[in-house]
Amino acid sequence: MTSEQPTPEEMSERAAIDRSARFPVLFFFTSAAAWLLVATLLGFFSSLKLCVPGLWDNCQFMGYGRLFPAHMNALVYGWAMQAGLGVVLWLMARLSRNKIEHPVALIVAGALWNAGVTLSVVTVWFGFGNSVPLLDFPAWVWPIMAIAYALVVVWILPMFRSRGESLIYVSEMFVLGAVVWFPWIFITANLLINKGTAPVMAAGASAWFITNLSYFWMAPIALAIAYYIIPKITGRAIFSYPLAQVSFWILAALSGWTGFARYMGGPFPAWMSAVSGTASIFILLAIIVTVVNLLMTLKGATKIWEFSPSLRFTVFGMLMLAVYGLLSAMSSTYIFGKSLQFSHFVVGLDTLAFYGFFSMTVFGAIYFIVPRITGNEWPSGKRIRTHFWFSTYGIITLVVCMLIGGIAQGGSLSQWNQAFSTSFVTSSAYVAGRCIAWALISFSNFLFLYQLALMFIGKGRKTSGPTLIHAEPGKVESAKAAAGLN
Amino acid sequence: MGSNENKNIDYDQGTVSTVQLHDSVRRENALPREGSGTVGISIIAISALVLIFGGGQLFSGANGFSDSIYVSDYYEAAPRPSLGGDIGEAAEVAWIDSWAKDGKKVYGNCIACHQASGLGIPGQFPPLVGSEWVDGGTTRLGAILLHGASGAFKVGGQTYNGLMPAWNTLPDEKIAQVISYVRREFGSLPEGEDGVVTTEMIKAAREQFSGQTVPYLESELLAIPEGEMLPGAKVDLQTGEPLEG
Repeated sequence: MTSEQPTPEEMSERAAIDRSARFPVLFFFTSAAAWLLVATLLGFFSSLKLCVPGLWDNCQFMGYGRLFPAHMNALVYGWAMQAGLGVVLWLMARLSRNKIEHPVALIVAGALWNAGVTLSVVTVWFGFGNSVPLLDFPAWVWPIMAIAYALVVVWILPMFRSRGESLIYVSEMFVLGAVVWFPWIFITANLLINKGTAPVMAAGASAWFITNLSYFWMAPIALAIAYYIIPKITGRAIFSYPLAQVSFWILAALSGWTGFARYMGGPFPAWMSAVSGTASIFILLAIIVTVVNLLMTLKGATKIWEFSPSLRFTVFGMLMLAVYGLLSAMSSTYIFGKSLQFSHFVVGLDTLAFYGFFSMTVFGAIYFIVPRITGNEWPSGKRIRTHFWFSTYGIITLVVCMLIGGIAQGGSLSQWNQAFSTSFVTSSAYVAGRCIAWALISFSNFLFLYQLALMFIGKGRKTSGPTLIHAEPGKVESAKAAAGLN
Repeated sequence: MGSNENKNIDYDQGTVSTVQLHDSVRRENALPREGSGTVGISIIAISALVLIFGGGQLFSGANGFSDSIYVSDYYEAAPRPSLGGDIGEAAEVAWIDSWAKDGKKVYGNCIACHQASGLGIPGQFPPLVGSEWVDGGTTRLGAILLHGASGAFKVGGQTYNGLMPAWNTLPDEKIAQVISYVRREFGSLPEGEDGVVTTEMIKAAREQFSGQTVPYLESELLAIPEGEMLPGAKVDLQTGEPLEG
């Protein structure tokens, strides 16, 4: 199963591709990481506001209704989209064996995207939002983002067309899927809410958009990373290549149907939520296939996971993807959904997608990519370890609190003879947990941004040998031997 | 060391010795592509379970894929908090409450002229509160509802000159509900009178006045004996069942 050594020609080709990717990809990663820190801090303050409702009472900018949407916009458009674009660019360049030809055009497009994100966060924070989750910026903002996105993607698609391999690797399929699916859902949802449809439809479009952001942007990119990085690091082929393709087609066929299950019993015909719940359940097939495939690939390679940051983050992210799929399918059934909808659970589920599986997998990719494009190694394995554990504790705390708190809140909401405020009192302890979780995550991302900034300005380690999570004397040698080097 | 190294490499030509390349390039594995493992029967069985479960969700929740059914069969309406008591008691809603509530909905058709208060608009539209037509027999009221009224019309000592449209396009039940609502809400009824008009009574009225094709004049309505009630059994206000005798 171990792959043959690459030839010198292959190596220098890789080096050339990585060098061409250096500035645009680093630009996307670094600005994404900056937005991530902003987003996690906003997440912390909005949770604190829920915890202590009287805080900053006379400051309109510190109200939950402003902080939380700003947090979501920064997290999704600032971090998730940009980090995803960086990964997509690099993966497509590597897989199609093309150099990135127009770094300046990409950076300009990236700057335009950042302008769009800034506008979306600031307008919402200053109270010009329209309260439709994740599509709440004023109507003139989204075309800016759509144009910036198109200006990035227009350089990705030609790379695929002139690929240097006849076989399309499964990661390439996922990358291509994500790149073409996102504009579809983004434009559709924005047109639906801004072009005079019924307000009810805006709620439906928003639920559809958020769910599809997970299944049509985050999941494909996370899977592309997993199917690329795990074979790269372990040196083993994916256990079953056809199964990996199956997971792609299941995702492609079913994701668009999800979303309306968030409004069961709501003002939509009953079949819409039934069909969408069923799609969420059927997507479990893709999750099962992926989990089996990756577990079989990793079988017996657990030693590497102890040392390699990329592998550890990626595998943890995939684990969270499986949890997300399960919880998402569960809450799409009537039995659970009727009390979980409109509760904290939904926030927990979205955060699990945005931070739990997507971000963790992307961290894995960034830890893999950045040393290659900068020619430096990560400054400190200890900080990577802290980043991993604080993020892991944070996201697990958050999801568990929001799940249990959501059950408490939803159960209380569906009792007609309880006051509405009871639903908040019963879940307040779990909201405190959410607050602590965001504090942990903020700290871990401060470390991440700091490390990335050091790499960005060329202050990484200049030694040979990868930065591993455990670097104690004695362990290093065995780690290098086991890891096949990062 | 890193920066010197970069200068020595001609990336574009691809002709370099691997020794000069950065370590991260040298240590990287090639991407192995062709895995062809197969899955066991257990995975196929689990997948089949997922499909069965999903299908169950689909066909039990979709309610026949009708575009007009909004609420799945799984849902039970919450009991009305206004009635107090626990869920078991509250589930028993008195028949008259839902009858009058439905009547109030139908009354939405009347609000433009008679107003939500039932006071009408002085000089333009007659009031229902304090109106002898509402307080009196149901036969006259039924006739007005079914076929409308026009011309000079005296209500509570005031003469109005307008047109009340015919409502005979509404089903009997809705007319019965709105008359019940109006009489109970706006009328001052004699002792022992519950003000309820049943679907059966309106059905009888529709037959009785089937010859009428244009709105009634006041004189025609006055020809109906004052205080005459539509024929039909009174009902139990709790259950909605007809009372004996």
